Amino acid sequence: MKGLLIKDLKLMKSTRNSLALVLLIALGMSTYISDISFIITYLAIIGITFATGTISYDEFDNGSAFLFTLPVSRRGYVIEKYLFSLLMSLGGWLIGTVIAIGVGTAKGTMASEEGIMVALMLLPMVLCLAAFLLPMRLKFEGDKSRIAMVIVFGGFFVITIMGVKVLQKLGIDVEALMKSLSAISAGMGAVIVAAASIALLLLSCHISIKIMEHKEF
Amino acid sequence: MLRIENLRKSYGTFQLDCSMEIRPGCVTGLVGQNGAGKSTTFKAVLGLISPDGGDIRILGKDSRAFGTKDKQELGVVLSNAGFSGYLTVRDIIPVMDGLYAHFDKPFFLEQVRKFGLPDNQKIKEFSTGMKAKLKVLTAISHRARLLVLDEPTAGLDVVARDELLELLREFMEQDENRAILVSSHISGDLETLCDDIYMMHEGKIILHEETDVLLDDYAVLKMDESLYDTIEKRYILRSRKESFGYSCLTNQKRFYSENYPKLAVIKGSIDEVIMMMIRGEAL
Repeated sequence: MKGLLIKDLKLMKSTRNSLALVLLIALGMSTYISDISFIITYLAIIGITFATGTISYDEFDNGSAFLFTLPVSRRGYVIEKYLFSLLMSLGGWLIGTVIAIGVGTAKGTMASEEGIMVALMLLPMVLCLAAFLLPMRLKFEGDKSRIAMVIVFGGFFVITIMGVKVLQKLGIDVEALMKSLSAISAGMGAVIVAAASIALLLLSCHISIKIMEHKEF
Repeated sequence: MLRIENLRKSYGTFQLDCSMEIRPGCVTGLVGQNGAGKSTTFKAVLGLISPDGGDIRILGKDSRAFGTKDKQELGVVLSNAGFSGYLTVRDIIPVMDGLYAHFDKPFFLEQVRKFGLPDNQKIKEFSTGMKAKLKVLTAISHRARLLVLDEPTAGLDVVARDELLELLREFMEQDENRAILVSSHISGDLETLCDDIYMMHEGKIILHEETDVLLDDYAVLKMDESLYDTIEKRYILRSRKESFGYSCLTNQKRFYSENYPKLAVIKGSIDEVIMMMIRGEAL
């Protein structure tokens, strides 16, 4: 695990110029965009994208086959990818939060407590994104993974819209249902969302392990 | 060290079905044409593909139970794979250190210097020869007991090949309980390095012989048709029709040299034996 983490950090080193550029863009945007959730989400997504990009680096010239001849299990490889993706995405989330709150406070447009609340609300979304992205990337190589992502997210929206329509046809008031959900206390809501995100991430990790265990090189 | 029994794997019309054994203290070669099944055998041994059947025991353990701790004792070179080309030699050192309990950093660095490998250049920018050297160095730098080397000398010039083979000999001399399974297209490498050789064709082992026996007792006999009709065929393994008559492969060179003085007896080489075993007909 330690060796794999070092490898990924070393691979990240070759993308340091791109990472620096991303940070500069985020800083620039934060000065004229008032919606701080955008900056935080942007940097968190960039973090995940760079982390999952190490899978492509591993696959370069059949490198994955060689990796599994080293003292690395497929399960260990997947867990390391999840840890590294969390490290990168949470790193991006944290930097985004610091930038957003810093700029917001300097401009006097936002209180830091409000900024922290927004950032915390975005955290489950970051975990969910990692939970969807990693199995896709491990299952499909290169362009296929991007196509699969589009299909999955497209399918998710179609199913959501259809679900709402079905509920309406069944005479269930969706708006009232949403209002009743919002009646749950903020603390309880946060616990439910956080628990659901972590459960989704664990399920995703389990699926990814199964994917890797069935792969042939 | 390694025992393969009735290993089976199918890809379309290709069917692998082989058995072999690598003993402690031995360097065993695996030769065959492209597509003969050598890499498939290596991949099955290393757990990179799932066999359809058969048993593989590595270092006394069933390959399915061969875990990350066991892999500490394994050194591997794959013909078409290695560390990511985006890493440098300097990057690899802490990675190897983190992965292997017995990574010999001073030895690795000394060999990197000796082979003139740039330590701060991306591997993808290395020449084929430099990549091959690095692969072998990473395989032998952590006190492995068994080396599995698929085409380790591919792309190397004569001098570099000789240096690498010397490195492998030194590796074997350090501990008599070590072993190497190696494949190569360059039969000269195998003749000087291996104790025994397996020959593979269309997924099957067609010959297993000790290298000394192969070089001393095997020969290709060249004769015209009249001699072919009368010659003793008990010790002829394969024969092949030629423009001048027949070429025959034997594993009893001395018998034919002594009893047929006019016969052209050409000393066996791995290339000659492969050619005859594949293209010749069994009598």
